[in-house]
Amino acid sequence: MAHGKVPSANDWFRLDNAAKIFPAISTERETNTFRVQIEMTEDVDKDFLQLAVDAALERYPMFKVRLKSGLFWNYLDYNQRPFTVRPLTHKVCGPLDPRDNNGYLFQIYYRARLIVLEMFHSLADGGGAFALIKTIVYEYLTLKGCRVTPDNMILTRDSLPTKEEYEDSNLTYYDPQNHRHVKEERAFLVKGTPIEDGNIGLISGTISTAEMIALARNHQASVTEYLTALLMYIIYLTQIKYREHLKENQKPVKIFVPVNLRKHFPSNTLRNFANFVKSGMVMNRADITFDEILEETKKQFAFGLQPKELIRKMSENVSFEKNFFLRITPYFLKKFALRIGYKKMGLLLNTLSFSNLGKIDFPESMEPYIDNVSVAVYSGRFNTINIGTSSFRDKFRITFTRSIVETTIEREFFRHFTEKGIHVTIESNYVEEY
Amino acid sequence: MKYCDKCHVEVRTNQPYCPLCHQVLKGESELARMEVYPEYVPPIRTVRALTKKAVLFVTVVSIITLLIVNLTDFDGRLWSLIPIGAILYVFVIIRLGILSRHNIAFKLAILTTILIAILNVIDQEYTAEAYRGWALDYVTPLSLLACNIAISVIILIKRINYRDYLFYLLTIVVFSLVPPVLCLFDVIRIDWPSLAAFGLAGGILLGIIFFFPKSIKAEIKKRFHL
Repeated sequence: MAHGKVPSANDWFRLDNAAKIFPAISTERETNTFRVQIEMTEDVDKDFLQLAVDAALERYPMFKVRLKSGLFWNYLDYNQRPFTVRPLTHKVCGPLDPRDNNGYLFQIYYRARLIVLEMFHSLADGGGAFALIKTIVYEYLTLKGCRVTPDNMILTRDSLPTKEEYEDSNLTYYDPQNHRHVKEERAFLVKGTPIEDGNIGLISGTISTAEMIALARNHQASVTEYLTALLMYIIYLTQIKYREHLKENQKPVKIFVPVNLRKHFPSNTLRNFANFVKSGMVMNRADITFDEILEETKKQFAFGLQPKELIRKMSENVSFEKNFFLRITPYFLKKFALRIGYKKMGLLLNTLSFSNLGKIDFPESMEPYIDNVSVAVYSGRFNTINIGTSSFRDKFRITFTRSIVETTIEREFFRHFTEKGIHVTIESNYVEEY
Repeated sequence: MKYCDKCHVEVRTNQPYCPLCHQVLKGESELARMEVYPEYVPPIRTVRALTKKAVLFVTVVSIITLLIVNLTDFDGRLWSLIPIGAILYVFVIIRLGILSRHNIAFKLAILTTILIAILNVIDQEYTAEAYRGWALDYVTPLSLLACNIAISVIILIKRINYRDYLFYLLTIVVFSLVPPVLCLFDVIRIDWPSLAAFGLAGGILLGIIFFFPKSIKAEIKKRFHL
């Protein structure tokens, strides 16, 4: 029998280092969910999608779980109840109610040609989510009778789940000697009118991947560096310029850029294994240019991406988790400590987060069935705007989510491309119509 | 596909205006095509949410009323705390026991524990000296006994989900081992209810150890991992 290990009710998983914090700090507004969306070339059949998800979950016992509370830490417990796919609603990265959908920590939605996966960050990061959705799409296409092959790029039921996939790689690669805490300044926050009922606005723009890469290369920068610098520049133009002397504008604009550590360390884990680099700059002059920001960003990226620095940031988190006093505090008290710590040391230190998932690869046989791939991250009270990008073939998609009504940043951002003659196609969920 | 001649972008929508600059878009709507993202559906106001608010309102108002009545005619005794305790317990029963979606063993265990706590306070603070001790002597062991029976029966009936209930059963079983200890120190003067509760709890504990050794070990490991 070629099927994977049959998940049993005795399966349970500790939360990984990053995952431990999210259940404590997530609320209706700060949902800590993210979205991975695949647009197929044809309308999605919901019955086949349901079967495909059921099949995929057989391969991913670590996603077939629900969150349960223990005395000291929460944990993921095997979930024997069925999972159901649902039609897409207007909610973008909304809270995942643990009592809803039988306690699963992710949702699969369908609408017309879209397959949407929304996942709570405790379960996995973008790497894990993409592995899951690729398997779902593969199973879906197979069920539809398409001739597709996994080409070792997709985990299918032909392979067994390995221990490596469940491992918390943060614990593997951390260095107890190198966990110095670096104090950071609070970041400039983009303010605006909150959208009612905690709804999130979504605007995504599609441009040509080749043109995007060419544009970045013209500046001797990577795409991530270019876009990070561009975001900082747009924030400067729209939020700070001509007001740069004001007190609240003395805080640095800081962009939080997640780094997929699987690319830096030999890990195959499906769980959270990401860290970040930050690019920050105090924008208190009237004559800041884009090139100046880009140079600064490149320097900060080069520093932040050094293995030593990545390990330091990872070890800082791990050593916090391993703190004896924190560990023996009962969870209901620990929750408050985590909340205060995260607000002070997490949320308020970033202006926004920019996740570049990069090039999303599919086996060649599957490519004709897929039109585009995009990612989105929730936006909350402090990080009012977040950006997710990904590319599939020649479609580079930049998705803005926002918790405020204003779209100035999005407008100026996309106009930057159109002014250079690059063609942009916009999609929006028209949250202002709500 | 529509076009915004101010932002110079194409917009995939049938909406009349540009999401970036709110300028009216050029181009014809393709009404046959669905919007990429769905329309807003207002949340359905459920009976559950309304009941929650109503219960909270009635609870708060009656507590305030009781306090005012007690204080206007104050003779040195805060008698209103007894009905307030009862009202709070009713509130907990409705919120946790009826309206919440926790599993039934959790509900039974938590409601029994709170009930024991409240009755013991009433017993110690408001009972005449000669009659004091009824909550410890009878209520505590017998309600633990009842709770043990109830959760065991649920486990026997709903066998598929027994793992979900096992932990709460174990908690109540452990609580049931306390009254006989109090008997030894003469805090509890009537022995038989405590011994009955102890007997049943001991039986259940042995049953769990004999029949579900792996499940209970795993359950304890999960709940208490550091």
